[in-house]
Amino acid sequence: MKMFAMITAILVAGEWLFMSMPVAQSDVFHLSKTAQAQESWRREFEDICSKTQDAMGFSTEELRGLVVRCDALKPLIEKLDEPQRKVTLRRLQMCRDIYAFVLETKENK
Amino acid sequence: MKKVFLIAVLVLGTAGIIIAQPGVKKKRPLPYDYGKVVMNNYSEKAGLSPVVFDHWLHRSKFTCRLCHVDIAFAMKTGGTYVKASDNMNGYYCGTCHNGKLFFQGRTIFESCSKKFPPDDVKRCDRCHSLGKNVKREYDFAKFTERFPKERFGNGINWEKAEADGLIKPVYFLEGVSIPRKSLSVQKDFALSPKLEGMPEIIFSHKKHTVWNGCELCHPEIFVGVKKGSTKYSMVEIFEGKYCGVCHGTVAFPLLDCQRCHTKPVQS
Amino acid sequence: MRPLVRWAVMSCFILAFAGDVNGRSVPISHEYGRVIIRNFSDQAGMAPVWFDHWLHRARYTCRLCHVDIGFAMEANATKIKADTNTKGFYCGACHNGTRVYGRKEIFPSCSLSSTPEESARCNRCHSVGKNVQKEYDYASFTEKLPKQNLSDLVDWEAAEATGLIRPIDFLPGVSIQRPPLNVQKDFSIASKGFWMPDIIFSHKKHALWNGCELCHPDIFPSVKKGTAKYSMLEISSEQYCGLCHDHVAFPLTDCQKCHSKPVRR
Repeated sequence: MKMFAMITAILVAGEWLFMSMPVAQSDVFHLSKTAQAQESWRREFEDICSKTQDAMGFSTEELRGLVVRCDALKPLIEKLDEPQRKVTLRRLQMCRDIYAFVLETKENK
Repeated sequence: MKKVFLIAVLVLGTAGIIIAQPGVKKKRPLPYDYGKVVMNNYSEKAGLSPVVFDHWLHRSKFTCRLCHVDIAFAMKTGGTYVKASDNMNGYYCGTCHNGKLFFQGRTIFESCSKKFPPDDVKRCDRCHSLGKNVKREYDFAKFTERFPKERFGNGINWEKAEADGLIKPVYFLEGVSIPRKSLSVQKDFALSPKLEGMPEIIFSHKKHTVWNGCELCHPEIFVGVKKGSTKYSMVEIFEGKYCGVCHGTVAFPLLDCQRCHTKPVQS
Repeated sequence: MRPLVRWAVMSCFILAFAGDVNGRSVPISHEYGRVIIRNFSDQAGMAPVWFDHWLHRARYTCRLCHVDIGFAMEANATKIKADTNTKGFYCGACHNGTRVYGRKEIFPSCSLSSTPEESARCNRCHSVGKNVQKEYDYASFTEKLPKQNLSDLVDWEAAEATGLIRPIDFLPGVSIQRPPLNVQKDFSIASKGFWMPDIIFSHKKHALWNGCELCHPDIFPSVKKGTAKYSMLEISSEQYCGLCHDHVAFPLTDCQKCHSKPVRR
């Protein structure tokens, strides 16, 4: 009985200690956030830039919105490591430019 | 003193006229040399020969858009600044040349790497080959034997080769290209030549967008979307601007006037 | 005139004509249009190549060689190798042992093996400094062809107009036929020297031998008359008109062929 109680106490204490390890828990949480951030910029990039061939069919509001989204995404891409930063910035630039100039043409009509 | 200066200018100026050489005929490259790009941003500094890139092989297998938009290669020689580390990290050449990508029944050889097995040191020479007598894996004549022929440039009608199904250029690379719907193509239109007597140019958007998409030309090469908003003439085109960015270096050269100056569009 | 100024003016003229080794005398007819090609011959242990234009231009248009086959317009600029000839480029486009001219087989140019017969054949082209008996002799070949004023140079234009020569403009497997472009009109170019008649430039006569691509856009980039600025100074330095005229086409010593108000017929 005494032995049983001692083992239970050790197990409970161990579990409590494990559960209250804030550093480990926050590390896991932190990594997950970074991974999520990476995924989110990529998703946003793909969403914006998958529509370039339809640019002529968009309204001026839609085009303006896409340009704004490109500009908002740029600082996130600037934080990436080389050469991913260089390549993705270039791709984003090409995609932003085509929306901007179709917008300009529609506005100047 | 003034007189001596004036005379020196006169003499040197005359010499300058002879040294500067307009009004001469450029040598036309051989079909397998047309589209060749030599890249030397860092090669010589790294103790390697400059890279020799032949467009003809890659353009038979991939669209222009895949490399120049999705992979973001520049449209000018030396404009991309490719480093070995970029390649090793899976960018630029390393996007495909990574030793893992399986394409058309074979693994594409790895471009740059830090360590080489003893029997693979010569791999660098496959690309870093300027001035070296490197035997290429593909021979131009054999590879293009059955392709429809055309004048100048590579001597190949790439457009017809694709239309006939002899080449099927890949336009999408998993993990690199963005999945997208099919292209809504702008209409063909006619451009009137400035010189009287020359046939009109029929510009085919369809033929261009099949290989290039929109972003390759717009807005960097052609700023205006509306026909007539960009003012240019053959002078700028011959200087390598507008149409001359591609036609003259990789696509069929400007020497072949009737490819564009044709009233009924060439089909 | 002060001696210094006199010296300067003379130097300018000397420099301006520096490219012209032969000076402004009437050229020796059988040597006119000769090109010595020696990019790689010496390294390969062979005599440089001796190419005489007159035989080829009696049989083929300028366009065929300089546009379709892609020969450069300057000596040694083409960089021909034995390797490229054997692959059917440059000289090898015709000199491949299978093409014929009329009923005669055209001898093959380079080969990668070197039997004694083939070595002897090399000398047909690699003949500088060697006493090689050429198959055709200038004098007998051009005997019946009309000649230029006061010289033994052939008047190729007249030869073609009278049907004595029929230059071939199409090479099967190399040339690709195109619907012809409208030939641009003849026009006059005002002479800068008041004592010289104006020049009448005939597009028709040039396009007959050259097509459009030989001159445009490389030699004459602009299609608009007056955009390219040049004078006799540049022409004498092998630019513009001087690229052909004074080397292969009629020489610049024959001023009135161009400086003729009514076009010479």
